[in-house]
Parts: sequence; C-alpha cells; structure tokens
Amino acid sequence: MKQIELQHLYWRVGFGIHPAEYKSINKSRKSVVKSLFKDSNTFSPLKVDVSYFNNISYKDLKDNPELAKSVREKNVKKIKELNFQWINQLATSKELLRERMTLFWANHFVCKDNNIVFIQKYNNTLRTYAIGDFRAFVKAVSKEAAMLKYLNGKQNRKNKPNENFAREIMELFTLGEGNYSETDIKESAKAFTGYNHDIKGNFVLRKHQHHNGQKTFFGKTGNFSGDDIIDIILENKQCARYISKKIYRYFVNPTPNEKHINAMTEVFFKDYNIGNLMRFVLLSDWFYAVENIGAKIKSPIEFMVGIANTVPIKFERKKDILKIQKLLGQTLLDPPNVAGWKGDKAWIDANTIMARLKLPSLMLNNAIISLKKHGDFNDSFRERYFKRNKGKLPFKILPNWDTFSTNFKSVETERLDTYIIQGKINKGTADYLETLNKKSKKDYCIQLMSLPEYQMC
Amino acid sequence: MERRKFLKNSALASSLLFVPSFVKAFESVTTERFGFKRLVIVQLAGGNDGLNTIIPYNNDIYYNARPRLAIKEGIIKLNDDLGFHPSLAPLRSLFDNGELSIINNVGYPNPVRSHFRSMDIWQTASGADEYLQSGWLGRYLDANGKKPYNALEMDEQLSLAMKGEHFNGIATNDYRVLYNTSKDPYFKNVLNHYNDAHLSEHNLGYLYQTMIEAKSSANYIYENTKVKLSQQEYPQNKFARQLKNVAQFINSGLETKVFYTSLNGFDTHANQLNKQKRLLSQYADSISAFVKDLKHNETFDDTLILTFSEFGRRVKQNAATGTDHGAANNVFVIGKSLKKAGFYNDLASLSDLDDNGDLKFEIDFRTIYATILSQWLDADDTTILNNSYDKLNFI
Repeated sequence: MKQIELQHLYWRVGFGIHPAEYKSINKSRKSVVKSLFKDSNTFSPLKVDVSYFNNISYKDLKDNPELAKSVREKNVKKIKELNFQWINQLATSKELLRERMTLFWANHFVCKDNNIVFIQKYNNTLRTYAIGDFRAFVKAVSKEAAMLKYLNGKQNRKNKPNENFAREIMELFTLGEGNYSETDIKESAKAFTGYNHDIKGNFVLRKHQHHNGQKTFFGKTGNFSGDDIIDIILENKQCARYISKKIYRYFVNPTPNEKHINAMTEVFFKDYNIGNLMRFVLLSDWFYAVENIGAKIKSPIEFMVGIANTVPIKFERKKDILKIQKLLGQTLLDPPNVAGWKGDKAWIDANTIMARLKLPSLMLNNAIISLKKHGDFNDSFRERYFKRNKGKLPFKILPNWDTFSTNFKSVETERLDTYIIQGKINKGTADYLETLNKKSKKDYCIQLMSLPEYQMC
Repeated sequence: MERRKFLKNSALASSLLFVPSFVKAFESVTTERFGFKRLVIVQLAGGNDGLNTIIPYNNDIYYNARPRLAIKEGIIKLNDDLGFHPSLAPLRSLFDNGELSIINNVGYPNPVRSHFRSMDIWQTASGADEYLQSGWLGRYLDANGKKPYNALEMDEQLSLAMKGEHFNGIATNDYRVLYNTSKDPYFKNVLNHYNDAHLSEHNLGYLYQTMIEAKSSANYIYENTKVKLSQQEYPQNKFARQLKNVAQFINSGLETKVFYTSLNGFDTHANQLNKQKRLLSQYADSISAFVKDLKHNETFDDTLILTFSEFGRRVKQNAATGTDHGAANNVFVIGKSLKKAGFYNDLASLSDLDDNGDLKFEIDFRTIYATILSQWLDADDTTILNNSYDKLNFI
C-alpha cells in the first residue's frame, strides 16, 4: 500500500500511524486488512474497580440516606475514571478496529447513566459486539440495565406502557425515521414490557408486567417477544441500508454515495455481520479514492488521541483530560441526548475552532507556535515571554518528543506535512509554510498541527 | 436561474468571501442593528424547588407534605396566598415596581424527571418524545443572526440551546482569553496567505471561514467592550461575575441579542434548606445588582431576563430532608415593559397532583418562548419552534 493509503486507513480505523510502524506492516492491502482483524480478535474490557458497590442493596440505599449520598459521589468519581480508562485504551490498544468501532457504536446506541456498574457493563457490551453479529448486538442492547433506564424501558409495563425505547430502537438504532407507523411503535412497546434489571445490572423479565398476548407488528401477528420484534425489524432491508449509510458517513465520507451504500447494504443484509461489512469497505478500491482522503472533520476524540499518537503525552492532572473534552465539545460517556453527537461540521464553531488551533501548541510546546522564517536566527524574545507564562498554562502535560523523534527519524522535515496532514493543504497556506524555517522537526510539527487542515482526516 | 449559472455565481460570491483583504474589511464592518432588544437567560440547573421559592404560605397541604422542609419564618408575603423565600428579599422592589412577572405551573406534557433529558427538552424546545439536535436560541440565530457574537454564553462550553442548525453562538467565560488566542501571529499569517476560493463549499473551506469569523468576533467583542462603564458592586460569586460581564456587554452596546448564564447546584435531594437558601441569595443578590447596573446605564428598558429550571421538585419532602425530581415549576420574567406583572397565574392545586405526586403543568414552556420570540425579539416563532403556540400576554 502507498503511504497515503496506509495513513488514510489508519486514520479511519485508528488514530493515525507514524512512519516507524510502516516497516512492521505487510504492504498488500489484503494482508494489512487481515492483520487489522486478527489484532481485534481479542477483547479487552474496561475494568474500573467497582467492588465498593458489591454488597449494597436497594434497601440499604433507601434506608440510609448517607450511604446513598456517598454512593452517588462514588459513582461520579468512578465514571470519570472510566472516561480516562477508555481514552487511554483508545490511545494505546492493539485492538484498533474493535476500539474504533466501539467508539462508533457508542454514538449509535447512545446511552448515558450515572451508575458506574451499569455504564461500564454497557460500554463493554458495545466492545463485545463491535465487529460481530448486529442481530445479537441489538438484542443485547435492549436488555442492558443502562439502556433500560435511559430510554425508560423499565417503566414500560403491561398496564402502563412507555413507548420511548420502542420508538428509538426503530427511529435511531435500526430503521431511521419514517419507516414505521405509530401503531408499530405501540404494538412493539408491548413486546418489551416487563424488561427490567437487578442491582448488579443483570437483565430480569418481570413476568407479571409483561404483555403476554397477540401483537400486530409490520403486518405480522403473534405473541411476540422483544427479541422477535428485533428479528422482524431486521427482515426489512432498510435496516441494513440505514446502518450501512451510517458506517459509510463515519468511516468513508460524510457525503453519502448511493452506489457504494447500495453495495454495502447487499453485503450487510446477507448475515448482518459487522466484521464482514467492514472487511468489504476496507478492501474496496473506492475506500481509498482521493475524494475520501482527508474528507472528514475529526471529532474531538479523534483530534486529541490523534495528537497523542504522533507525540505521546502524559497528563500530570487527570482532570485536564476532561477539561479538553469539554472544551472541544465531546465528553465520552456524556452524550447530549439519545441522538448522539451530530458530528462533522457541528463539531466546529467559533469557540472550538480557536481551541483546536491553539491546543497542539498548548499541549506540546508551552503555547508557542514558531514564526521563524528561512534565515531567521531565533525568536528568543517570544520564547522567553512564553516561558514566563508557563505557570499560567491551563494544562499540565508532558510531551514525549524523544519518541516522536525516533518514530519520525526516517522522515525529512520538509516532507513532514505529508505525514501529519491528510488531504490537500490550501495553496496559500502551503506557500506560507514554504517560507518557514525547517530546522526543527518539532517546530514544524506544531505548525502543521495548528492549521485548519489538521482538523481533517 | 439555470443551475449552472447559479452555481457559477455562487462560486464567485463565495470566492469574494475569501480574498485576504476581505478579512480586514470584515473586521471593520459595522452591521446594521437588527433591533435593540436583548434577552438574558438564567438557567437554574439541577431543578430548583419552586414551592420553597414561591411559597404557598396559607396552604396546609404544603406544611403537611413538608414537616421538616416547609419555610415558616421570614416569608415575604406578596399576596394572600404566595410569598417569596426570605432569600429573595432583594427582588421585592422589582415585584412592587411591576418589573417581575412570575408564571406558575410551567412545564410540558409527559414530564421527564431526568436532569439532562429535561434540560434538553427545555433547551431544544422539543416535546418529551422527540430529540432535536439544535436549540431554540440557536434556531433563532439561524433565522435572525448575522455574527456568532449575536449570542454569547458566559461559559467555556456552548449549551445546546445556543446551537442552531447552521449557526452557533459564542461561549466564553473570559473574552480576553478568546481574544488573546485568536491574535496569535501565526494564525494571522496563515489567514493572510489563505487564498483558495474553490474550497469554500467543502469542509476545509468551512473551517477557514469559521476561523475568520472567530477571529473577527473575538476582535469585535474585545474592541467594543468598555470595561470602566460599570460602577455597580456585584456579589463575589461565579454567577454574579457572569451577570457583570453581561452588563458590561449590554452597556457597551454590543450587538448581542441573547446572553446565556447559569447557576448550578439546585439538585437538593438532601439537606435542602441551607443549600437552597444560599443559592437563592446568590441568585437574588446578583440579579438585583445586575438590574441596578442596567438601570444606571439606561439599558434596562431594552432587556428581558428569563429565569427557568429544568423541573420543579416533589411536593412531599423525602427522608433526607430534601426533595426529589418533580415536574411543573415557576418561571421568572424580569423587564421594564411587562404587560402583566406580579403573578401571571395562580399556583396549581396541591391536592390534585399527578401520579408521581408532582404539580401538574398548566402553561407549556414553549408558549413562553413563542411569546418572547414574537413579542420581544420580533422573530418568527412558528418557524423557530416548528409549531404554532398560543401567545401569553406578559409582554
């Protein structure tokens, strides 16, 4: 594979790649993709320690307000920990594809909960099924404690139905708006009645609250269970199309291409196997077409983890990780609502563009973006000024430039742009970059990362 | 116009947007004002207990439901039924002057008792069963805004309320930081060289365009904000600082139509009395200083302040001397030209509650939005709210 194709592939299924990694990769597309799948055969769950909650019952919480309070506080703390662990896993895991798809599904089967046990379990369920059987995936999600809380599934009872989950499973998770009727929602809601969970987050079917009778759904009549409803939904090819389109817009190009989405739909409809669908996408020629390279605006997580992938960083204060996510508008485990983050252009506004342009220098170089031109000796005045202000920086981060130097050793500084930037650089901006002094690979790296072009992947 | 011709023309138009010299012109252009009236939003996050804010001090049900939580002393009686929490004393004069309208029992059908979901509903003006990805003020900007600084949030992060389909406001808790970031000479150099017109329709063009707008907005705010205008003393807390900044912007004549502020901590499940007392004091003291500041600068007449919370709280106290998430709640509207000041309506019945034991809503919050959009901001509320709501007559 060509350098540009490799980078493209690794930006979409991971967070970029550095030249030192190229050597260890076999050069044919087929074997690169094959090894991506092989690396993701294993599964590493997030493991925030939740033993504190082990022996607490609902009754304890009800009887003891002080305990309830400390449980609430503990949950807040533990969910932050889960956020850090997740980001760390994104940045360091060898199970690239699985992690990347977990991130994708987290913004598809969107869920949020204030209970660490439930939300950690939920997150690991996403990871379990990330490149597996979509059918089993939807069924598992429908029985997750966090989801039963989030979309009011546990309030859905025989005599008092709550249609929230039934609506969203079709509108957002499988078919898309307009592909079902209000009657379909009402009828399918009956099939999900009685779904509940215990304090550990295990699924429980409350038989007395379950509607044990005929339902008519998409023209079929029977005593359907929730799982039956999901099977019937998946019989509709629209489901395969809806998911294919979403995957296309996330992994290939935000502008849909009907021809390619049709081809994906055919593949996915056969067996609803996510891995097979992804293999088809990553092996196809069109995935590597020029119009798809650098066509996507990085999400805040892609942006942040991508920087760390080029220049490894260590946060001296963990809370800075949250601060950056907040600043850029995407805090993992804290989605805006069940529709998730809108993505693409919606990531960028006047606040976030400035934050993004300034962050690389803030994180990696005491806020300095060098202005040195060809022939300039130095701008030591500016450097002294910034050094004085070092204590006032909003973050405490240790960049590891040695690793960067080793990883990019084979690259000439003049050609660094082709490794750091995906896609075309604006002509005028490229002219400006020409005028800059290329003595320091580090300075040039910061300069490149401080461009609008760096927001694309 | 033929499509080809149209595309050609629009390509030309957008290319003009990106010649470097335009950057300078863009910064100095003063847009024609699109009305002087301003809206200030105050969000009481966490679910303020409305019943202990506006107290039904003559109602036995209230005292029976809250043996350890009902306010008994220091209530500021406003009429025969209702009175202020003692902490709201600074707002008394606003009430007496007809500059405060209290709308009771505001909510929406099928109320949601989750903080983030209910806040979402309030911010997007959606129903309980729909999920919108843009906010009501953001959609107002889509239709009526011209520059990102037309809507400012006094925080680091922009609320969903302020995000439109195509247009976002600016969030900044310190406009000087935004300015300092944007004036990094490296960015200036990049923009001075940027010259490609053809990218403007693509994502990269959008990034450059947003960068130019951010830079010019930061300049605009920085250069037009007159720091020394305010002689008014404010309390020392985060919320007061937000309002102080808002007053500074308003009194400097910034072309900002909407300001968004927030006071957090109202989720009083336990030991509510002291917490709420402290928070309501912060609220009332800060608002009172803010209104004085505006009056002193003769900008109060053109300012409307809307205070809301995502839900009220349960009528019955809980076991931890607190209250759990409820439903309908009161909303405060503060301004000079109120049609109906004082109490807009009576408090809903405390004996006719919903299945959860919460107040039933009487006024849909979206009718308040519709009223403000059409009567105060001269906007087309039907398009912005995607529905036609009856108007109230408080302004």
